[in-house]
Amino acid sequence: MIVRIAHNSTDITLNNTKFNSLDGEQLKINSWLKLVATKQDKQAFSELFKWFAPRIRAHGLQRFKQEALAMDLVQETMLLVWRKAVLFNADKGKASTWIYTIMRNYCFDMLRKKQTQKEDTISDDLWPVIEQQTPDDNNDHLQNRLLLSHLGSLSLQQKQVVEAIYLQEMTQQELATHLDLPLGTVKSRLRLAISKLKSKLEADLD
Amino acid sequence: MIKYHPTQELLISHSGAQLPLSLSIAVSAHLEMCSECTTVTKKITAQQSALFEAQDVSNNVNFSSMLDKIFEHKPDLQVEPKKTAINRISVAGNNYQLPRAFSHFTDLKWSSFGAISRARVVKDTDNIRASLLHIDKNSAIPSHTHKGYELTLLLEGTFSDENGVYNKGDFIWLDNDLEHTPFTKTGCLCYAVQDAPLRFVSGISQALNPLGQLIY
Repeated sequence: MIVRIAHNSTDITLNNTKFNSLDGEQLKINSWLKLVATKQDKQAFSELFKWFAPRIRAHGLQRFKQEALAMDLVQETMLLVWRKAVLFNADKGKASTWIYTIMRNYCFDMLRKKQTQKEDTISDDLWPVIEQQTPDDNNDHLQNRLLLSHLGSLSLQQKQVVEAIYLQEMTQQELATHLDLPLGTVKSRLRLAISKLKSKLEADLD
Repeated sequence: MIKYHPTQELLISHSGAQLPLSLSIAVSAHLEMCSECTTVTKKITAQQSALFEAQDVSNNVNFSSMLDKIFEHKPDLQVEPKKTAINRISVAGNNYQLPRAFSHFTDLKWSSFGAISRARVVKDTDNIRASLLHIDKNSAIPSHTHKGYELTLLLEGTFSDENGVYNKGDFIWLDNDLEHTPFTKTGCLCYAVQDAPLRFVSGISQALNPLGQLIY
């Protein structure tokens, strides 16, 4: 079940705007990764590499204190990015965060290997980034649950309107007829309800 | 309804891959059951990613041969169907499906002591040990304290102790010297992480102190 709240021009897809408003740099990174995913574009990958390799190396040096291991981390992370780019789903977040999580996971497995001498790759079970980018949008699902959890904060009249329109998918006119109310009343109740839900969700995400 | 959650510090360490495996499994399995903590963790990861990108880096490192090596590989052209390794277990006559974080551990060896069954999951360095514990219905674990901390993640069923009632998904962190007597009416399956053996404190159950070694 997907709850979409788009009412008049008030489109609240409930995402934290701070994460979605990408600055120029992040937009470039997103478009490079998309080019790698769709066209196996080597030039775009080289740009990604130029940006991320020194950062991954610095992170690796911090974690491992060894140049060779830090360089391993660069190589393996960027190889995964090259090979698995097609799994990146821009609707779920920034390209840079996706690359960061791939590095983070590989780093965890490397540290395990150093400690236990075992070739475990357990990180994908702990942080399912690579394999779990399925079309079934878990993120929507979570936001729906979050949204539904706030329905209780509405007045009974507001809740009734939201449920009828978004869960039972009635039109505003149908609902007005059903409740024997003027259409304007339904609209204003809905508007109030949505602005209340919106502020609740923003409070959650801040 | 989950009432007990990991602290923000734990979520931050987990997201930064800085916890020992035993604790990361616990946080990861909790996240699978808890949408609130998942939302918080996503924000934490985004912040860590931003910090990672904001690092000062030297541009004098030569990576050129690495890029050529990477291009020797062929990228995947489509999303392959996800392999889901579901880990199902059978213990004390009950069947359970373990959270994804346990997918790796398909070779669990159960040992039993009365109403308690235990399977070691990981033994980390630094003396941390983690086990799955199954407790039969209408059973209690004798009153005990912990020398270190004890983390219990409730995977199935419910239990209660002096401090309250716990439900599926609850992430219960107890620091040392807290004495408690867990009891389960329904029977339960937990994942427990401890950094020192249990000590049984009351009456005859002190004779059970070897049991602390079993559970630990």
